[in-house]
Amino acid sequence: MTRARRFFGVLAIGCGLLGPLGSGSARAGEEDDLQRQIDTQKASVADLERLDELKAVTDEIARLKSWLDEAWGLRAKHEYDQVREVLDRALKQEDLIRAQITVSKLRDQEQRREAALKLTKEKIAHTRKQLQETTDKKKSLEKAAQ
Amino acid sequence: MRRVVSRVTLVAIAGALLAVGVGCATPPKPRELQALETLRATNQGKLPEVAKRAPDLMAEADRRQAAAHDNWQSNDLDESRTNALMAQIKLKTAIALYDQDQLKAEIQSLSGQQGQAEEELAGLGKDLASEQEKVALLQKLVDGRKSAEADKQRLSQEMSSEQQKAKVEQERLSQQLASEQKIGAAQLALRTADTVEAMHYAAQDYAAAGDLLAKAEAALKQGDYATAQTSADDAKKSADQAAAAAKPLYEKAEESSQNKARNEALARDAPGIPGAKVRIDPHGDLQRLVIVLPEMFSRRDPNIAPGHDMTLDAVANLLKKYPSYPVQVVGYTDNRGKSGELMAISAARAQAVYTALVERGVETKRLMVSGLGGEDPFVDNRSASGRAKNNRVEIVFLYH
Repeated sequence: MTRARRFFGVLAIGCGLLGPLGSGSARAGEEDDLQRQIDTQKASVADLERLDELKAVTDEIARLKSWLDEAWGLRAKHEYDQVREVLDRALKQEDLIRAQITVSKLRDQEQRREAALKLTKEKIAHTRKQLQETTDKKKSLEKAAQ
Repeated sequence: MRRVVSRVTLVAIAGALLAVGVGCATPPKPRELQALETLRATNQGKLPEVAKRAPDLMAEADRRQAAAHDNWQSNDLDESRTNALMAQIKLKTAIALYDQDQLKAEIQSLSGQQGQAEEELAGLGKDLASEQEKVALLQKLVDGRKSAEADKQRLSQEMSSEQQKAKVEQERLSQQLASEQKIGAAQLALRTADTVEAMHYAAQDYAAAGDLLAKAEAALKQGDYATAQTSADDAKKSADQAAAAAKPLYEKAEESSQNKARNEALARDAPGIPGAKVRIDPHGDLQRLVIVLPEMFSRRDPNIAPGHDMTLDAVANLLKKYPSYPVQVVGYTDNRGKSGELMAISAARAQAVYTALVERGVETKRLMVSGLGGEDPFVDNRSASGRAKNNRVEIVFLYH
């Protein structure tokens, strides 16, 4: 057996002995990290519910919640890759929800603007009618005053 | 036994073949993938625009959908669901971003329209306010005119009413005045009738006039002017008739009475003339008061002897005091001489006295001058004194 062979043999044995120890430590850190991510996203859900004043995206929020619950369950089963996948999806879902909340608020604003415009147009029509009536009355009075 | 075994074998083979067939067939499309396809179909119209707005998201959605489809086809359903969900999220996010832009543009457009509409509304409001102000002024003017017209009409009506009342009152007063005037006329007529003592000389008419006058006065008090006027007219008529009937009788009686009194006064005054002798000679209806002025002339002298001015003054005054009596101035002589001569002398003597009286202011038209010569001697001519007395002038007052 050469010295090189002996070195690689020892390294292999060392890796074989230390590998499980290192792997267990990394897994604990990853689990904590995923838990923090899940907690962070759950906290965001509360923010989203508060932002959704018009209750326009309750289904999407419910779905997000279910995914976070799913992630939590997967984390408990140590299915970290799936947890990450679900969290990634939840993150995108959160973006979607924010975008849809913005849309709902804009739509509400648009509807209010439309209503206001409609009201103003009605006022214009009413005022125009009043003006016409007043003009007619004025003509009538002018004739009477002559 | 062999037949039974071969049947079991056949069933087993068929089951195995069925199992292999089922295992090789495409599984049902995952619900997530179906939902994705529905989402696409629902938004098909705007997807090109969405792709322009969010190309990365759309590309990712497309890629994930294709993968999901492949996964499904290859029976990797979990992966298919995962990709379908991610594709949904990407697509929805892209649509949301597109919707945001559309809504923002729409809101901006609405803001612009709102601004224009508010501007238009403000303009209209201003025009309306202006027109309403004009209308209010015109209305005020018209109302004022109407009010003035109504006032005018009311005043006119009131004036008309007042005029009517005044007219009625005037008419009433006029009637009252006419009644009072007629009653006054009747009263005057009655007083006039009183002056001729119609009560005695036309008692019937007078009484009727009095009754009618009382009736007229009563009607006047009651405001029955027509009756008052009619009665007053009738009263006046009766009073006039009474006066007319009584007047000649009264005048006759009055004249007689006055004449009598005057004659008596004349008879009382005449003897006051110095040197004169007075006698009354009744000649039927005619009375003669004779004032004899004796011894006023010398025997044949036609002129008045001096010293008789007092007598002539007294005679003239008496004549003037009783101016209504016609008077004869008659000259006389004694009976000595020719009749014609005596007549001439007597006439001359009468003329002399006439002249003396006229000179004292006696009206000539009352005096009638004549000479009777020696006729009707005053005293006996046989004595000289008697003859002297017969040379005289007599002033004769004539009356009935």
